[in-house]
Amino acid sequence: MNIWNPVRITWLHRANPVVKLGLICALFFMTVLTHDLDFVIYQAFIFMICLVLLSGVKPWKMLLFFIPFLLAFISSASSMMLFGKGETIWWEWGLFRVSEESFYRGLHLGFKGIAFASEGLLLVTTTSSVDLFYSLMQKLRLAPKYAYSFMASIRLLPMVWEEYVIRRQALKVRGVRPIRGVRGMVHRAGMYVVPLLAQSIRRAHRVAAAMEAKQFDGDRAKARTYYYPSRYSRYDLLVVGLLAAAACCAYIAAGYFPWFGIGDVRFD
Amino acid sequence: MSKTAARWVSSSTAEAGTEQAVHVEGLRLKYPGEERLMFKDLSFSAARGEKVLLLGPSGCGKSTLLQVLSGMIPRATEVPMKCEAQLVPRSWGYVFQDPDTQFCMPYVDEELAFVLENLSVPRDEMKERMQAVLHEVGLDLQELHMPISHLSQGMKQRLALASALLLEPEVLFLDEPSALLDPEGREQIWSAVKAVSEGRTLIIVEHRIEEMAQYVDRVVLFTPDGAILGDGPPAAIFAEYARELQAYGIWYPGVWEDYAESRAGRELFAPVDAPGDELGSLMLEADSSYAHLGEPVIRLDDFRGLRWEKPVVSLPSAEVYPGDFIAVIGPNGAGKSSLLLSLMGLLRAEGTYVLCGEEVIQGKRRKVRKKRERQLRQIGFVFQNPELQFLTERIGDEVMYSLLVDHMPPDEAKARADRCLERFGLDGMDNRHPYQLSTGQKRRLSVATAMARQPAVLLLDEPTFGQDARNTFAILEMCERLRRAGTAILMVTHEMEIAQRAATHIWEIREGRLTSSLPSPRWCSGTESGRETDGANHADASRDTLAASGYLHTGVNA
Amino acid sequence: MGTSVQEKLGVQPRKGLRLSDILVTVLVSLVLGVIYHFWGSVYNLLKPLFFEADELLYGMWFAAATLAYLLIRKPGVAIIAEVAAAHVEVLFGSGWGLTLLLYGLIQGLGAELVFAAFRYRSTSAWTVAIAGAGAAVGSMVMDFYYSYTDDLQTWMFLAKYGMRVLSGAVIAGLLMLLLAKALDRTGVTSLLRPASKKDYEALDDPRHV
Repeated sequence: MNIWNPVRITWLHRANPVVKLGLICALFFMTVLTHDLDFVIYQAFIFMICLVLLSGVKPWKMLLFFIPFLLAFISSASSMMLFGKGETIWWEWGLFRVSEESFYRGLHLGFKGIAFASEGLLLVTTTSSVDLFYSLMQKLRLAPKYAYSFMASIRLLPMVWEEYVIRRQALKVRGVRPIRGVRGMVHRAGMYVVPLLAQSIRRAHRVAAAMEAKQFDGDRAKARTYYYPSRYSRYDLLVVGLLAAAACCAYIAAGYFPWFGIGDVRFD
Repeated sequence: MSKTAARWVSSSTAEAGTEQAVHVEGLRLKYPGEERLMFKDLSFSAARGEKVLLLGPSGCGKSTLLQVLSGMIPRATEVPMKCEAQLVPRSWGYVFQDPDTQFCMPYVDEELAFVLENLSVPRDEMKERMQAVLHEVGLDLQELHMPISHLSQGMKQRLALASALLLEPEVLFLDEPSALLDPEGREQIWSAVKAVSEGRTLIIVEHRIEEMAQYVDRVVLFTPDGAILGDGPPAAIFAEYARELQAYGIWYPGVWEDYAESRAGRELFAPVDAPGDELGSLMLEADSSYAHLGEPVIRLDDFRGLRWEKPVVSLPSAEVYPGDFIAVIGPNGAGKSSLLLSLMGLLRAEGTYVLCGEEVIQGKRRKVRKKRERQLRQIGFVFQNPELQFLTERIGDEVMYSLLVDHMPPDEAKARADRCLERFGLDGMDNRHPYQLSTGQKRRLSVATAMARQPAVLLLDEPTFGQDARNTFAILEMCERLRRAGTAILMVTHEMEIAQRAATHIWEIREGRLTSSLPSPRWCSGTESGRETDGANHADASRDTLAASGYLHTGVNA
Repeated sequence: MGTSVQEKLGVQPRKGLRLSDILVTVLVSLVLGVIYHFWGSVYNLLKPLFFEADELLYGMWFAAATLAYLLIRKPGVAIIAEVAAAHVEVLFGSGWGLTLLLYGLIQGLGAELVFAAFRYRSTSAWTVAIAGAGAAVGSMVMDFYYSYTDDLQTWMFLAKYGMRVLSGAVIAGLLMLLLAKALDRTGVTSLLRPASKKDYEALDDPRHV
């Protein structure tokens, strides 16, 4: 299930999902441990560029990820800016206290969020769920019962949606009047959630029985063969090299062309 | 040892040298939470290559027995059981009832590959095996990597059979494979089963046996308690236990004829005269909302139902009179359900729609919408899935809910609800949760909640789908009762017998258009009506239409 | 009476997670994840109303863990449930999907530890409320690394996480208990309960015949 529908197949698409997962997790780790504002800004910048180049998504669709980036930037940055700890107060009004430290920390958080999101999208736009699970089973020996449970459940989700639509129609037909207030909201939510979950539980149970009837052994990844092969290739090396190089560029750029020159943004 | 689920002396391979394919002796099984044992000391066996049909009323445990015979209970599903001896086949395949929950992968090839992966078949052999087995069941797809959701229900069951065949089974267990299929789908699955059953043992549980009753070698009839009543060749069992077959609601060949001869059936299928006489004489519930004789309760002119701004069903002109029972037939996806949804106001519509003399105006403005909703309250709707309609946690409240919404005084509502439940065979269960009912009871309850309100029009979307004969007739009887009180009924159905015997008119919808609307044989056998008449012999005309559209079900195919 | 050959036929161990348990957990969690995605995105638009107001609804994110436990009552389901609910964001193609997966893991762990402390035997209101709070604590720990929340002004910090813990206890705890009870009443959960010794003994009980 890949809603981004890539139009260009890049190196990143061809690399092995497990390798990508490991790589992106490493990048995450690096970003989490970055406390330097300039480094984080360059990371955000460089990974956004990587995303544009490597995701293979149609240009207008890229707006779909940039808009949430902007919103998230504003919300996470502003929260820290207005309420963060700090000694050098710039502006104060009521509960809001913007200090120098909190301002830069807020900025840092905003850009960090963008860096995380870009890294995440590098994985999500280039890997389909099925490929990822097959890869996990073959390379990391993930027990098939987990992988196939996920894949089967993803397959069953559209049915739940259809039932939701029918339920909404049925409630209308039966003439259900909404009750006001919080209790009403909870009750109304319950009117949807209980039947949908009841049907889902029953369905999941039946699918599990059907899978068992097909001689599925969920515990041993080794004994089974796989329809979709998961292989390592030179693209894996290329991709690792590329993203590592990008990270290094960001680091070097932060050293030579700092925007703020602040260093560690944490409070102490 | 006290915790073992089953104690048996096993010989799980075929080296025993007997001709038996499956065998269980002295079986005792009880579901946790149930009061009584499902099986008490039951013994059953089947020989190699035998085709056995297990028959019995709903809930007698036939599916459970199938799971025990295959070993799924207690291996995959934990249910307390014990037996004295058991022989489980070395290789077996199982086909379940619901086409939608048998598969775990979204694409055909991935699903078949799933089975092959389980068997540790090398990747290069997979494609070949998949194609071979699909060919065997008659599913010739150009592209193997096809979404399963694009297959029809009958094709899905064939796919399920194909994946069972990949296991190279000695025994095939078929658990009501055709229960949730329309006639075309049923034909597909049974022809596929017949094609692949050469040399294999078949153990089949089924309710609708018209298509394959003569194909099996042996029929085993169960009582509601889970004991074996009769065991022998089909002809003998059908002859000796005809009464039980009827009582258990099994769709045996000739069930419609037998019912038509019974007292209830004669009343149900009685020919319908001109509207005037009937309504006057048979007003059972004096409360009928709309009974202006001679005037249509629904009039449609250039009516189109829209989905995403595109018409999915269009009717150039149509009229529905009180006391009409219209069967809406047509191929899958033609737009029959969309028609009902549009009439109910759940889909946007265009064109003229006059209900009970007042026009239903389509529009988005709040006032228009409110007025429309109020008008449409005169129509009752029964969805295909009964559970999705239930609102309360008690059966008693369920029926009353609709009546209270209509602003009926509570005492009157309670009285009417109780009467309704009694008529539907659901009395004495006031406090039970609707979800705890059996499928047939749930279906009756959902129909009851709509009928209790005595709407001017009742719309039903395949209410007899997957039901046994008894429930089907019960629902038809209730519809007839309502019809005689003046309600107009529109029922989407695949059951041609309903269209020919119980309905008064037949509308056919193809590719989103109403292609014909004819009176049914039931209407024609009465006197000439004051309605539009096209020519001399309506009975033949409607049968011709049905035959031409390929729907006339001729009964048993040997 | 005879030797049991269950093991030879590969009967799954009763204590561990069966395929059915995992599938039910994952599907239920995916459904809850979808609900949160739609409902949450609507609420996010209202976030500026008063700061950190979305903390009051944050408990919804932990609901999968507690509900799954109430349905299945075995070790490990809380973690699987949270990871599955977070996976929904990945399926929707969100960039934060991966971050949320990690959050889900730790949140699930928070709830799991509480259930483990009660030896997986308790399903009382207190247990689930504390588990919901535990998941909130897990997300708090993650926040320290991701968002430097330990550098917020103290009153803000207490307000934010106080609301979150409360939300966890109420939404993921008590509300899910009500939901689980409603599901019990429909009877679907009987499919999920393992049989007890009494049920096996009932096979021989002459009264049940």
